[in-house]
Amino acid sequence: MTRPRGRAFYSPVLMLEYEGKRLLRSVGVRVPEGALVGAAAEVDGLSLSYPVAVKAQVRSGGRGKAGGVVRAEDAGAAKAAVARLMASAFDGERPASVLVEPWVAAERELYLSVTVDGGAGGFVVLVSPRGGVEIEGGAPPLRYDVGAPAAFRAHRLREILAAAEPDAAVREGVVRLARLLLRLAATRDCTTVEINPLFVLAEGALVAADAKIVRDEWAAFRDGEIAALIAEDRRHRPEAIRRCLEAGLMLVPLEGEIGLISGGAGMTMAAMDLIARAGGRPACFLDCSANPTPAGYRLSFDLLESDPGVKVILVSIFGGATQMERVARVMVDIVAARTARKPVVFRLNGTNAEEADETLKRHGLDNHATLEGAVAAAMALAGGGR
Amino acid sequence: MSILLDDKSAIVIQGITGKMGRFSARDLTAYGTRVVAGTAPGRGGLEVEGTPVFSSVAEAVAETGADSSLVYVPAPSALDAVLEALEAGIRLVVYPGDGLPVADAVEMRAAARARGAAFVGPNTPGLISPGKAKLGFMPSFCYRRGGIGVISRSGSLSYEVSHRLTQAGLGQSTVVGIGGDPVKGVNAAEAVAMFDADPETAAIVYLGEIGGGDEYDLARYAQGPGAKPVAALVVGLASPPGRKMGHAGALIGSRADSHAAKIAALRAASVAAAETVSELVPALRGLVGTG
Repeated sequence: MTRPRGRAFYSPVLMLEYEGKRLLRSVGVRVPEGALVGAAAEVDGLSLSYPVAVKAQVRSGGRGKAGGVVRAEDAGAAKAAVARLMASAFDGERPASVLVEPWVAAERELYLSVTVDGGAGGFVVLVSPRGGVEIEGGAPPLRYDVGAPAAFRAHRLREILAAAEPDAAVREGVVRLARLLLRLAATRDCTTVEINPLFVLAEGALVAADAKIVRDEWAAFRDGEIAALIAEDRRHRPEAIRRCLEAGLMLVPLEGEIGLISGGAGMTMAAMDLIARAGGRPACFLDCSANPTPAGYRLSFDLLESDPGVKVILVSIFGGATQMERVARVMVDIVAARTARKPVVFRLNGTNAEEADETLKRHGLDNHATLEGAVAAAMALAGGGR
Repeated sequence: MSILLDDKSAIVIQGITGKMGRFSARDLTAYGTRVVAGTAPGRGGLEVEGTPVFSSVAEAVAETGADSSLVYVPAPSALDAVLEALEAGIRLVVYPGDGLPVADAVEMRAAARARGAAFVGPNTPGLISPGKAKLGFMPSFCYRRGGIGVISRSGSLSYEVSHRLTQAGLGQSTVVGIGGDPVKGVNAAEAVAMFDADPETAAIVYLGEIGGGDEYDLARYAQGPGAKPVAALVVGLASPPGRKMGHAGALIGSRADSHAAKIAALRAASVAAAETVSELVPALRGLVGTG
């Protein structure tokens, strides 16, 4: 199974810069007044004051260092930059469009983000007095564990900032922005709202020079914009993966020979780890627990049967809410109907496991008692791994 | 003793008329759990599997004395159902569902804390105090009563490991699924503190994975004075960085999220850390003998 590159590598709900800036502007964050173009000729139709920043709209994090942001002094240079960026790829991703913005002269650059953090039991605010590309290697940002958005207290953030940010006006601006970002995250279901760099202008104003916003894919039921992001992302996925996603199967394609069909994220990883320790490679992370139905399992088999890299299929499920005798009956039907001859190894346990075991045995299928035994059998059938 | 749940707990199942609600009404009762009520808005007066159904949690509490709740409603209604339970005075609320917006999990956690109640979830099979009561859909045969407190980020992995512990004669005080999402009700550190205070729990087993910082909280506990013996499993050694492995929290975004870094930190804190599921029971045996 080929590992996806380009946009498929990124979260489906990571917004492009221009989408993120539109959202920031909607809650009152100052952003440069830019325009989106898809071809060099469109630059002629814009009223711009030069110089401008020409920015490839891609999800790749290293865009700046990879030459995806260009300063253009006049329309000719801007057109050339747009043409060049549209023809480039950044970490495998071709830009869908280019953002052209007035070049903003910054006194200095800060970092500000609001993100979900398990340790905080909710949101944290992260601030660094030195933003831009330096954030990666520099001192860790200042951290304010907020938790629920209603627990945000401006005076707490002020105290935290006081030690590192000498400019009181900048501190107040950051406090005001942090509250806006928290409200945005809470009301529009964002798991990360990051502004890096956050420009400090000569007069002290703060301008979001970039935007990285990740939405919460589970909130698609109440936010049409998130549903649209997911639908758009699916259009760019290979068909097999798109079908899995639409069926609720959790699939991460890898590049191995053991086609693992599993249930539950932890057990799937546990089985992958045993395969790796035995010298093999899993073909995928494929968790069917959200759709333990004939259709879901059939789709999983189709995917692995059609993958030339997969030498053996290993079905390893320890079901709780999933009734295993039903899974066993589905497996019997699938095996009876298939024409492909890839070997299949079963290890079914969990709720109603005894009946599942009997069902498999009655149809001449082995059910391994342990995960280790099933992995060893799959490895032997795959030819002993690498 | 045990944590959070015992044979005195009185259970209300919210959404008892649905498929999972009916299944759990039967399954929990068969395990000896006191299921005293169910709820389904507008359907008070029914009976499901011999359990009286009420239209609201407040009614169920008033009529039956329910103190713990298992919530089976779809994600869009989950926040309302959990807040209803907390405001009716329920002390332990389990929301097993996955696909819950994280903003709602944040609100559930904050609401439970504000009332001094416990919220377990989301994305969990629930919890079981073997031989006493279960509040979730884990397969009962995997468990037996004993002195090991188990904390898991993953449901199916907790069945697998509990089954191995039981087969090895290592019974459990309580097995709690804290859930696979980044923001949890009861988190790893809080579950550890509960097991630390529980006299029946002699040792703690933690089932973790790549991503998130829960394993570091566990290491901090294990390094402290008077800590109970701790064994841990971290899954995800074969998972590539930058890819979300099913659980929203299972993502290697930084070095600290990785399998190797977590194993190293746990071992430095004297935790018996297993690199694969095969190594866990031997690692625990090294701490507690044959149990």
